[in-house]
Amino acid sequence: MAEYSVVWPRGPKTAKLVELAPRLDSLEGRKVAFLWDYLFRGDEIFPILERELAARYPGITFVPYSEFGTTHGEGEHEVLADLAHRFTELEVDAVVSGMGC
Amino acid sequence: MLRASAAAELAGVPTASLVCEGFLGQAATTAVGLGMPNLAVAPVPGHVDTQAYEVLERNVVEVTLPAVIDNLVSPRPEAVEVADPERTEIVFTGTFEEVNRLYYENGWSDGLPIVPPTVEAVEEFLAFTDLDADHSFGPLLPDNRAATVWSVAVNGVMAGCRPEYLPVLLAIAEALADPAYGVEHSGNTPGADTLITVNGPIAAQLGFNCEQGVLRDGFQANTSVGRFLRLYLRNVAGFLPWQTDKATYGNTWRVAMAENEAALAKMGWEPQSADFGFAPGDNAVTISRYTGGGVVTSVFGSTPEEMVDYLADGLAKIGGWEYVFTIGVAGGTYRPLLLLSPVLAETIAKAGWSRADLKQALWEKARIPAWRFEHYLGHWTNLVPGRRSLEDFVNMRRAPRVYAESADPDRLVPVCTEPEHISIAVTGDPLRTNAYVFAHNGMLGFPVAKKVRLPEGWEAKLSAARSR
Repeated sequence: MAEYSVVWPRGPKTAKLVELAPRLDSLEGRKVAFLWDYLFRGDEIFPILERELAARYPGITFVPYSEFGTTHGEGEHEVLADLAHRFTELEVDAVVSGMGC
Repeated sequence: MLRASAAAELAGVPTASLVCEGFLGQAATTAVGLGMPNLAVAPVPGHVDTQAYEVLERNVVEVTLPAVIDNLVSPRPEAVEVADPERTEIVFTGTFEEVNRLYYENGWSDGLPIVPPTVEAVEEFLAFTDLDADHSFGPLLPDNRAATVWSVAVNGVMAGCRPEYLPVLLAIAEALADPAYGVEHSGNTPGADTLITVNGPIAAQLGFNCEQGVLRDGFQANTSVGRFLRLYLRNVAGFLPWQTDKATYGNTWRVAMAENEAALAKMGWEPQSADFGFAPGDNAVTISRYTGGGVVTSVFGSTPEEMVDYLADGLAKIGGWEYVFTIGVAGGTYRPLLLLSPVLAETIAKAGWSRADLKQALWEKARIPAWRFEHYLGHWTNLVPGRRSLEDFVNMRRAPRVYAESADPDRLVPVCTEPEHISIAVTGDPLRTNAYVFAHNGMLGFPVAKKVRLPEGWEAKLSAARSR
């Protein structure tokens, strides 16, 4: 019976492993930004998270998703390209990003 | 959404990503492609769209919130790099059945038998390009793998293409890698599928069907090139069902379509590729992603005026939620496609109408009540939060004035913002009076066209290939 020696069908990876940002020691007194793709009830979920985090961590503050614009749709590329600059400008310590549904 | 998290991590800011329960697998595989397999995810139970507020609140407080906190303050596990085989490395030797079993079990095939991609078979394909085998058209998300000439040839072999199809396959890969197309959205839940249109003399040279049954399998060029695209999305972009391909239903790939160039020449109409700057006679490939389609059967009339109402009716009723790509999610990106059989197109052209004239007439008549449009955006769906009216969008300058010419909810509004947003192609049974309309997936598969680049000595190579 004929045999075939075959090659792999996938392409070479272009993304190298990237180290994640260091985690925080606590959320107390930190500034947390919300990023939203304007889908799947983020407008209801982020306020719940904000209320609950504020109740647990004194001094925590928040940057609303409206500061950045939608992370999905026509503005995605521009919004993402500007994030680093905006985080510095707004002194953001952590980010909660949604909604993957 | 994960791309936003990755951008934040790159900026040195720790993240938590909110992901619904059914999408955790997709998040895990997407994170690998972003180079951050250890990206932190906070699950949201079930799917938020069917939950009463009290249920949603409880789920967020009890499940999502603790994970968000953990994501931001607990150290993440170390990421581990997995090495891939070199491109010419033999990964397996075995019989046809064994090769097929290996490819299926590794998620490299679609379940149909594949042609074993041996180095010899791949090299036969490579004879049909002047590009280097390592040439890349760019990375394809979500896996972020390079769309190389070699990988195109491998997947072309597997799909059952003939070697001489390679120039068309390369143009498709180049189009997929164009950021305007939005390949990263190819696994979205509505499960749309890409349609390939081939224009120029190459369609006839390679034997593409452009007549009766043009969207049916049964013609090697149309069928295998369509299958290639799906395999390429699987193996290079990384769209796998139950992982990154989240089509709720989905369907089999669309066979590639060719326009009837002879009919176009006879009528003096430009091809579909002219919408992207190509001239009649240019070899080009257009890709665009459509959510669904339907036939407009037995169009009756001897003038364009008699036909246009029915054709416009087809365009207006094929769409629905997709109008969020006209206004809302990504304004002005909805590009429906109308296929006309040659007998219909010739009747319209004979009256002196150009394609642009037909687009204008269709745009004026392909309209739906404003209330219905608004319900698609934010009543029957929650795709555009806030339940804004069309008048709100006009006032925010996110929609043209034509959408708010009165406050009457029954006023008729166009399905796309500009006449030229309606694509037209002439194809199908030359002597049957049917048309076909496709609803479009907007910026999640925006139309992109690329030139088909032929190698030096194309005619001789093609002639030799045909005699094999």
